[in-house]
Amino acid sequence: MRLFATIAPDALAASAAPVAADNAWVKALESFEVAGVPVGVWAIPAIPLVFIAVYALYVGVYGERKVSAFIQDRIGPNETGKWGLLQTIADILKLIQKEDVVPAAADKPLFVLGPLIVFVGAFAAFAVLPFSSAFIGADLNVGVFYAVSIVSVEAVGILMCGWGSNNKWSLFGAVRSVAQVVSYEIPASISILVGVMMAGSLSMQKIVMSQSGEYGILHYAVFQSPVAWLAMIIYFISALAECNRAPFDIPEAESELVSGYFTEYGGMKFAMIFLAEYASMFMTSVILSVLFLGGWNSPLPNIGPVALNDWTNGPVWGAFWIMLKGFFFVIVMMWVRWTLPRFRVDQLMYLCWKVLTPFALLTFAFAAVWELYVR
Amino acid sequence: MSEYFDSIKKGVSSVVGGMSITLKHLANATRWREETTIMDDDNYFNKLNEGLVTIQYPSEAIPTPEFARYRLHNDANDCIACNQCANACPVNCITIESFKATPDDMEELGTTSDGSKKKLWLSRFDIDMAKCMYCGLCTYPCPTECLTMTPVHDFAEVDRANFIYHFSVLTKEKEAEKRAKLAKYEEEEKAKKAAAPKAAPATGARVSPLMAKKAAASADATAEAPKAEPAPAPEAQPAKKLPPMMAAKLAAKKAAAEGGATQTPEAKAEPAQSETPKAEGDAQPAKKLPPMMAAKLAAKKAAEEAAKKQAEGDGQSTT
Amino acid sequence: MAETLEYAPKTRLSQAGADRYIVEKEIETEYMTLNMGPQHPATHGVLRVELVTDGEVVVKATPYMGYLHRCFEKHAEALDYQQVIPYTDRMDYLSAMCTEHAYVMAIEKLLNIEVPRRIEFMRVIVVELQRIASHQVAIATYGLDIGAFTPFLHIMRDREHILTLLEWLCGARMLYNYIWVGGVSHNFPPKFKQRVAEFVKYYRPKVDEMMALLTENKLFIERTRGVGVLPADVAINYGCSGPMLRGSGVKWDLRKNDPYSIYPELEFDAVVPDGKLSIIGDSLSRHLVRCYEIYESLKIIEQCIDKMPEDPNFDPHAAVPKRIKPPAGEVYARGENPRGEVGFYVISDGKGTKPFRCKARSGCFVNLSVLPELAKGNLISDVVAILGSVDIVLGEVDR
Repeated sequence: MRLFATIAPDALAASAAPVAADNAWVKALESFEVAGVPVGVWAIPAIPLVFIAVYALYVGVYGERKVSAFIQDRIGPNETGKWGLLQTIADILKLIQKEDVVPAAADKPLFVLGPLIVFVGAFAAFAVLPFSSAFIGADLNVGVFYAVSIVSVEAVGILMCGWGSNNKWSLFGAVRSVAQVVSYEIPASISILVGVMMAGSLSMQKIVMSQSGEYGILHYAVFQSPVAWLAMIIYFISALAECNRAPFDIPEAESELVSGYFTEYGGMKFAMIFLAEYASMFMTSVILSVLFLGGWNSPLPNIGPVALNDWTNGPVWGAFWIMLKGFFFVIVMMWVRWTLPRFRVDQLMYLCWKVLTPFALLTFAFAAVWELYVR
Repeated sequence: MSEYFDSIKKGVSSVVGGMSITLKHLANATRWREETTIMDDDNYFNKLNEGLVTIQYPSEAIPTPEFARYRLHNDANDCIACNQCANACPVNCITIESFKATPDDMEELGTTSDGSKKKLWLSRFDIDMAKCMYCGLCTYPCPTECLTMTPVHDFAEVDRANFIYHFSVLTKEKEAEKRAKLAKYEEEEKAKKAAAPKAAPATGARVSPLMAKKAAASADATAEAPKAEPAPAPEAQPAKKLPPMMAAKLAAKKAAAEGGATQTPEAKAEPAQSETPKAEGDAQPAKKLPPMMAAKLAAKKAAEEAAKKQAEGDGQSTT
Repeated sequence: MAETLEYAPKTRLSQAGADRYIVEKEIETEYMTLNMGPQHPATHGVLRVELVTDGEVVVKATPYMGYLHRCFEKHAEALDYQQVIPYTDRMDYLSAMCTEHAYVMAIEKLLNIEVPRRIEFMRVIVVELQRIASHQVAIATYGLDIGAFTPFLHIMRDREHILTLLEWLCGARMLYNYIWVGGVSHNFPPKFKQRVAEFVKYYRPKVDEMMALLTENKLFIERTRGVGVLPADVAINYGCSGPMLRGSGVKWDLRKNDPYSIYPELEFDAVVPDGKLSIIGDSLSRHLVRCYEIYESLKIIEQCIDKMPEDPNFDPHAAVPKRIKPPAGEVYARGENPRGEVGFYVISDGKGTKPFRCKARSGCFVNLSVLPELAKGNLISDVVAILGSVDIVLGEVDR
């Protein structure tokens, strides 16, 4: 197995020293069997699942608490374990132990299924996330498209939660959420298309490969076109809205709707919804970095004999870079959340339809022209 | 159209401005609040400008000022059972029971630390801290400064009954003994009285031995003495309670008049002076405290320790 | 929907563009009744608002109160005059000093007591500190209502200093029982004045930061600007007072218009919005009034510290009557609280040491009564914004 980068001769013409995505780890796992049982194949989806769990615990919940605490001049969790590191474990233990309450007046099937669908929607998108040049669950040739569409399933789950709870506040939250998620798909998709157009492919790995090169960061899509940064920002804002993160957290607006669509949830069902939120945060962050920031490519350039880029590329390095980029945007999302107040429903729609969508379309048109005639 | 772009511009700039403020706070999170108190740190506000300000409560706490108004404490040895605190309490959280001491017990009963004589056995002095609303009104009328509010603020209990603090000098057995003694004594007095009118017709001057002693005790309270009604009927107890209280009050008044900061007659003055040395630099503090307050401050330390001992199972000695 | 259309013009909000929510005319819809509170994060306590909504648009809002009714007035009739003071603390627990001050002024009026000048300065300093602390809570929780969590904790950090100062002064952090009839319970500790001056210097830049983080934020402005516009005439007719009235552009501040204590000697402004950032009378105006009143209070405190007479032998209890037994009569005294005019109407029958009647006029209660007027035709999110801008303390509303 190749762990460190070698220069692939048959790389894309645009890049001088691209790294090929060979999905080597996936292939190795696929053929891994124990006594005829395809353990390896099972392990492929299990890896992102475990990853989500660990990430949600540590970067998600713990990180969120610490970031918010530091922004607010507090300490955050620090009693459970060193620096409070065991706090999230304790939380999970608490959530697991909790009684699984279904309100008497709730629509039971919907109430129970809702969180599952929300979680599955967020989790399914991880199938196409390129965690490294050697690992991607499924290197679909329509990867980005798949990710965008499967996330929309979340909206259904949210509506099920809200409606099934038989609570007026939940219903408000659900209706707001669906309206929001559906609306924000549009600027998000358009700005994704800008990235896709620049790479010339919908496959995640191909998009990433198109951004590799010896100058590292300079090959990233965001520096390849004068409008790519705008598309990136629009996508980031839409991603915030799609994850129901502040300042777009009107579906769960604490001071208005108590907890929005998951007011009635507790225990593991609540944990699922919670996990789904953090999972989709990471998912959108990774998509953002794949499309505009080179995915698992190292940002370091080769400077003459100091071949930083070559040294810091490869499957393991790739996993490191993409996690770094993903976590960075997750933390930015937290930072935004703890700074800004919340939108109102109509302002949210105004922002989506009258600001982001026109700007996304303009960006799209300009990027298309740029791709056709300049680049 | 320009409004549209203007609002976008404003939105972006204010969001960036806000984010930079929060980023500044995030970056400052490496710094911690220094340990300091507002009471005696001239640099207090410069130290708290930036960085984390959380105080890890059970392990560290903001120091409470000396005369903070939290848990009540009664120094039962100084209490003359005058009932003024119970009357001042808006929520009736103080319950006082007392009975007269027989003349031969006066030695045992002793005096308060400011020298005033006690006349009553304090059989019960209960404060229900669950009812208390920490207004402090009970501590002001106290003639002997024995009832104080201490800075002990952390005294949560599992059982509400534990909030009833008992301050009393008598044990159960002793109380029974003393009560029996009193009953016997009163019996004797009655018998004497029944015999007396025959011997000598009742006059205002004729007082019981107890009353006579009382009058002697409150020597400078002569103005009040005639008020002690001549009819020595046993059921007139509350009226009899009055003179010693008045005497003490007068003594306190006299003490107050005699000297703002010196307060010689108040026995607690010595600890009081050692307690408030901080105040010496500034002329204000000592003057600021009427004798009552100074004595109270002194009582505080002792009170705290006693309170700690008293509250069994009270694990948090946070002050 | 027809009914909503009828409601919309009535709300007097069309000038602020509140009819923007009425979209469809043809669809048959049903109203939904929604209970907001008494267990709701935005009602600031145990207030219940019954909302009749059409979609998210509120057709009718009815506040129900009384969940925190503690019989203050009846209690007062059973207590000595000075024993009532701790109970006034508990009315508006966020501005205990100010309420105490109003009550004590009433009793002093009844007794005809002249209060030493230094006492007046001490009172004004603590009352203004309390006003800052109270506005801090109002602003912080308002940010919380709008969804900004961070300013809340930044403001609480600074409020902590005021509470520490006041604890140092009188031993209690929130419910002080500090201002007594004829005096105050404690003299200023040795370096208290100096520390207050330092606090003023420390706090000014912090207010600026808070303004930059919260008040000047575009999202915050968008959420509050033009929401719940209360025209001046309506505000006056409803009897609003405090920032609520000043937010509507009426320059009415009891410290100026019915001066008491030493306020006439001090230089400060009754803050009214200038209408540049906000539409006069909207939620943002009320918020701005509170923000700028913090600056005014800081100004007042500075002046008081300079002007306060020094007296090393000062006894704060000198003018305190030993036994309060006022002659028969009745008085009304009022003070400008952070939440509006608080007044005490006290009747004495001349026979005892207890008030015959003690009626408390609460600013919050009156201000809250405008809510149905303001909430009509707005979204639920706006109702939260409006309720936050009214700034109620349920302890005082219900008493």
